[in-house]
Amino acid sequence: MNCTEAQERFADVLDGRLPEAGTAEVRTHLASCPDCQREYSSLAQTLVELDALPAAKPGPALRQNFYAMLEEEKNSAASIAAAAARHRHHTRASVWRWILAPAGAGVLALGGFLLGSRYAQPVPGAGMDPATKQELADLRARVDSVGQMVGISLLQQRSTSERLQSVLATLDQKNPDQKVISDLIGSLALDPSTNVRLSALDALYPHAGQPIVRSGVLATLPREQNPLVQVAMIDFLVAARDREAVPELERIVRNETADRVVRDAAQRGLAQL
Amino acid sequence: MIAAYPDIRVESSSLVVNSASDAVDSATETVSDHDLMLAVRDGDLAALGDLFERHHGPLFGFLVKLTGHRNAAEDIAQTVFQRMLKYRHTYRDDGSFTAWMYHLGRRCAADHFRKSNAAPAPTDPANLQDHADETPHAGDRAATRDDHALLHFALGRLDRDDREVLLLSRFQELSFAEVAAILECSVGAAKVRAHRALRQLRDTYFKLQKEKLT
Repeated sequence: MNCTEAQERFADVLDGRLPEAGTAEVRTHLASCPDCQREYSSLAQTLVELDALPAAKPGPALRQNFYAMLEEEKNSAASIAAAAARHRHHTRASVWRWILAPAGAGVLALGGFLLGSRYAQPVPGAGMDPATKQELADLRARVDSVGQMVGISLLQQRSTSERLQSVLATLDQKNPDQKVISDLIGSLALDPSTNVRLSALDALYPHAGQPIVRSGVLATLPREQNPLVQVAMIDFLVAARDREAVPELERIVRNETADRVVRDAAQRGLAQL
Repeated sequence: MIAAYPDIRVESSSLVVNSASDAVDSATETVSDHDLMLAVRDGDLAALGDLFERHHGPLFGFLVKLTGHRNAAEDIAQTVFQRMLKYRHTYRDDGSFTAWMYHLGRRCAADHFRKSNAAPAPTDPANLQDHADETPHAGDRAATRDDHALLHFALGRLDRDDREVLLLSRFQELSFAEVAAILECSVGAAKVRAHRALRQLRDTYFKLQKEKLT
């Protein structure tokens, strides 16, 4: 092996990734050639010093910025998924509205007709004795009381679509009064339908600046059982920058029985708050 | 005579291996980089945190040497991880995470240089006095630091392409095939370019040392 051939193979020897046997010829040549030794040694020394350069360490900002970016990406991914889920629920709700609203109206009209035909009888004659009059008055009072109870019961048992409509109607009001706000918070807390509760929360978004709204949502969160609504509530409180929500979010994060999606949402919320 | 010089096969001084082992949590070491990145691709974004902890140090070190500027290196490293998130769907089943990361790093650095509209200026040795010197023997610390500064300066004098191939070729965790893939050239071409860059670095470095002595 001559000097040119040996120097052409210096890269392999210096790389150190070839087995000893593959570089034996070069080493043999080096042992007898002072010029190649000088060339080789200077290159080897340069490499050693290059590898020995101390590693620069990044400042804390790199890590902070990275995790902030990661959280943002997670949130945007989660919010897209939540928005998609909400859209699916709204679509389903609007379908039920179109089906149930006409059916409910028909049932009410029929019920009204039957009640009217049963109770709208001619006024009794004046020749009735006092005992009969008293009995009739008692009977009327009892019927009135039953009617009130039926009315209240009907009010509470309005169909989901009607309740949903009444919640959605508040969205059109630019400056709703406190009664409307209270009703919305009540729906959020007590309504049995997930769709109605989600709609109530949506309707409360424009009023998130009011402390009473934030307190209401925060007070409702521990009682809520549906993960979808829980996540929406957490997003609401985070969006409203409500730092009073921090203890409750910490409780959720610690609660190992809670839904994982909800705990993740609470964790994200804590990071943002 | 050769025996008078340090062994050419550099062992533990590789900055990649050292920095990575410092940063790696042994608990997460069991999962390979490749599997973590596949998890990120499939929606487990938190797995990117593990990859960040393992690799941001070596990547940053590479970028500091490539650009000669800490701030630029931090910006580029940040952009690399941003692009990992953005283009996570393009990560291939048969990919190598490290090769992919340095491929992104190289692209991001090229974008950085294009935006700044200026070739990287050689680092002034005077600005490198605050670089971390982790040499345990304090006796010749000043001389060593001077040599480091000179070597940084000599690196800065190389063309960016030469500096890039030389630095990548010294990462023990990258095979030459991967280096060639990152540089988009053949293995033979990558080896020739790396060796040519090493000779240029040697010439500049030794010249600077002589100038210092005189």
